[in-house]
Amino acid sequence: MKLRYIIGSVIVLIFGVIAFISLEGSKIEYTNIASAKESGRKVQVKGVWIKEKGADYNSKTNEFSFSMRDEQNNETKVIYQGARPNNFEIAESIVVKGRIENGTLQASDILTKCPSKYEGNAEQLTNSSK
Amino acid sequence: MIADFLKDFYVGQILMHLLFGAALTSSLYYVLAIRGKAEALPIARKIFHSLTIGIVLALCLNMMNVMTSNFNYTYVWSYSNKDLPTWYLMAAGYAGQEGSFLLWTTWVALIGSVLIPYVRKRNWEAEVMVFYSVILVFLLLLLVVKNPFAYIWDTFAKDGIQKGYTPLDGRGLNPLLHNIWITIHPPILFTGFAALSVPFAFAMAAMIKRQYHEWVNAVLPWTLYATAILGFGIMLGGFWAYETLGWGGYWAWDPVENSSLIPWLTSVALVHTMLVQRKTKGLVRTNIILALASFILVLYSTFLTRSGVLGDTSVHSFVDPGMFAYVILVIFMSTFIILGVGMLIARRKDFFVSTASFAPQSREFLLSIGAILTLMSALIVLLGTSYPLIAEIFGMTKVALDQGFYNSIHLPLVTVILIVNGVSLVVRWRVHWKAKTLGSVMKKILFPLSLAIAATIGSFIIGVQDPWYIALGFASWFALFVNAELALKVVRAKFSSTGAYISHAGIALLMIGVLATSRYSVKEHARLVQGQPQTILGYTMTYIGKNQVEKERKDIERYHYYVVVQSKNKVDTVAPVMFWSDFNKRQAAFQEPGISWSIDKDVYLSPKILEMEGELPKATLKKGNTIALPTDTSLKITFERFDMSGMRGGPQNGGIRPGAVITVTMPNGEKKELTLFANIAMPSMETIPEPLMIPNTTQQIAFTKLDVNKTSLEESGAMFTFYDTAKPQSAPKEVFTAEISIKPLINLVWFGVIAMVGGFFVSIFRYASKKTPIERAENADNTEIKEKAEVPAEIEK
Repeated sequence: MKLRYIIGSVIVLIFGVIAFISLEGSKIEYTNIASAKESGRKVQVKGVWIKEKGADYNSKTNEFSFSMRDEQNNETKVIYQGARPNNFEIAESIVVKGRIENGTLQASDILTKCPSKYEGNAEQLTNSSK
Repeated sequence: MIADFLKDFYVGQILMHLLFGAALTSSLYYVLAIRGKAEALPIARKIFHSLTIGIVLALCLNMMNVMTSNFNYTYVWSYSNKDLPTWYLMAAGYAGQEGSFLLWTTWVALIGSVLIPYVRKRNWEAEVMVFYSVILVFLLLLLVVKNPFAYIWDTFAKDGIQKGYTPLDGRGLNPLLHNIWITIHPPILFTGFAALSVPFAFAMAAMIKRQYHEWVNAVLPWTLYATAILGFGIMLGGFWAYETLGWGGYWAWDPVENSSLIPWLTSVALVHTMLVQRKTKGLVRTNIILALASFILVLYSTFLTRSGVLGDTSVHSFVDPGMFAYVILVIFMSTFIILGVGMLIARRKDFFVSTASFAPQSREFLLSIGAILTLMSALIVLLGTSYPLIAEIFGMTKVALDQGFYNSIHLPLVTVILIVNGVSLVVRWRVHWKAKTLGSVMKKILFPLSLAIAATIGSFIIGVQDPWYIALGFASWFALFVNAELALKVVRAKFSSTGAYISHAGIALLMIGVLATSRYSVKEHARLVQGQPQTILGYTMTYIGKNQVEKERKDIERYHYYVVVQSKNKVDTVAPVMFWSDFNKRQAAFQEPGISWSIDKDVYLSPKILEMEGELPKATLKKGNTIALPTDTSLKITFERFDMSGMRGGPQNGGIRPGAVITVTMPNGEKKELTLFANIAMPSMETIPEPLMIPNTTQQIAFTKLDVNKTSLEESGAMFTFYDTAKPQSAPKEVFTAEISIKPLINLVWFGVIAMVGGFFVSIFRYASKKTPIERAENADNTEIKEKAEVPAEIEK
């Protein structure tokens, strides 16, 4: 065996083990509101913002709050420490990372999913020519 | 005229098909050339050059469409509008998938045309260019399917859009992309992606020719170029995020970022293993495999970010045209994996020869270890980024990985890499194991080592006290001082050999910057009342007011919010931005940070919201609505109806004076009817209210705004403001809310990457002009070269 192979294997082994351990600790499951409530763990929930219930940023507490509905039609209030995320209004769906505590989804991150390709439809096409 | 001609003959789309055919033909002629038909070679070459001209024409055609706002094209309509300034119109040319594929293809073609004379001189043309042309075949196939020349009436045919229809305006470019850095980011990144096609084509050619050493020298400058430019492109993306997005960071281990980092890491490893082969003739297999892998990872990264597989929880959420492009991307990737792996298997016998062992204190040994460590990082990022996909394939629960995954592994990994970085440059090539060489190595690193220990103690005193950060800090200082010392020694004698030291010192500086900004940034949430200085994180900050800028643009409304940032020795005014754009129907503001730059740190203000404080409470009521008075909840008011009887004048003579009839319910149940009037100027709708006191109370009430519903007066509302005369109020003030943070040593992040890229470029000149020891030996004996060409496997036994 050549020495560089031995050292190489040791490197791969050591960092492989570190990777495996941190992998377990870093997993954030995609789930729905119901099971997020049950587990109380940090998860990602995909859903839509319920426009009718509004969205508000309170500058004193630095909290952005709104309500979301998941694909099973369950609803939850979401509170996020920070300002309104960019593209929040035009997002076709949102993915919220966080955990549900006392019925409120405490968000650590909000991803806004923008309709990216051929977002346009015929309705917009004719509207834009008015 | 020309536009009509283009419209009727589908010139753009026909051009794409022709170019696809040309790429295919060029590949076939190169195959014939390999098979020994010498007359095929000039034909293949001519077709390739014409192909390049054609692709450049297609790029120009698309740019022309965008620049002239020709909304007949779906692409132009989708990504631009009339109000876009010229500079951003250019960005719109490659903001969409179709445009960015075209840009990538253009770079591949241009680099190919530069490559032809280079490989021709070395007698490698047919073998290299055949694979290179096949890459273009696939890229052009993608462009045939996703071409930027589709007409709007074809895209929306099923919605009944007639041929020749021209929308009046386009949908516009995402305002987050209205930025110089993100405008130059894709062209630069795609040059890097395109340049990685060169090592791939060379590695394949090496296996065809069964000559496993010459290609490494020939391709090294190209690999250096690809690595340098890709690294620079990645940094520009980070700089854009920092400077525009306002979340305060430059790197988030996002799949899009990761997918360009992975091929960059493998090409960094490739540069090092190629250097080893030049000197020792070792690592033959490794170089072939890494050259293949870097290019295939570029394809994989395109697949990850363009096909939507990582989009969100629902993996297959694309529509038909997307699905088709997805299939082509999969075929594209699989074809090149099969080509590469197939060739490796076919030539496996050539690789089963033992090569020399490297002594542990030799440079070749440490460079191999460095490459293994860099590849480990690439593997970790690849695994992490693909994890949701892997989980999906194996039917596990869908998961994503937290950023902590990458950070916790890279903290020790980068520390080891930096130590190897430093030590590898003080040891010598091809030394044999002797105990005393170890002593001489120790002697060489003694000075930088002591400096690094001193710097680590210094940083400990100023606060770097977590064990892992002490380790990373020490490793960075060590690498920095070793490289700085070496660079200073050789810079006078031979500038071109400082490239490696500059790059390695750059990486060390980058890591010091990363350490400082990620661990020792501080932030505070602040509400700044106009004109009132506040002390935040040791600075005196005063919000002084706002100002609208770029007023000539109709599609956006953009404001600067001026904050004076004052420290003991410096006064600076920063201007964070909030703007409202038609792109999201002006529903919410886009934010851009304001940054006070200085050499050692940045003060970073990320705007959140602008509010008015001290405004009178207000409420908008529709007919029949009842509310409690905000200033005295024991009183209730009901909006009854509008009173238009007292209307005086009209729109013709400058104004109207509508009345609003309300009923006040007193705490004892008594009801009083009041009519409030407002003077509204036309057409500005500026309103001067006529406030009234509610009898026997201190409450004043005013009708301040007519909330007109265009379809029905019944649905129109009235806005009222309330004022308690017993509690006098001062004039309303603006309150600017922002997140303020201090980013220590952030400039080292940018400077480190620029130094690294600069070092790569210095090295390109070094290796492009220099002959290797092997070449020199071969030139000394020409007859040997001729003999070698006959021998199938060139590897030394």
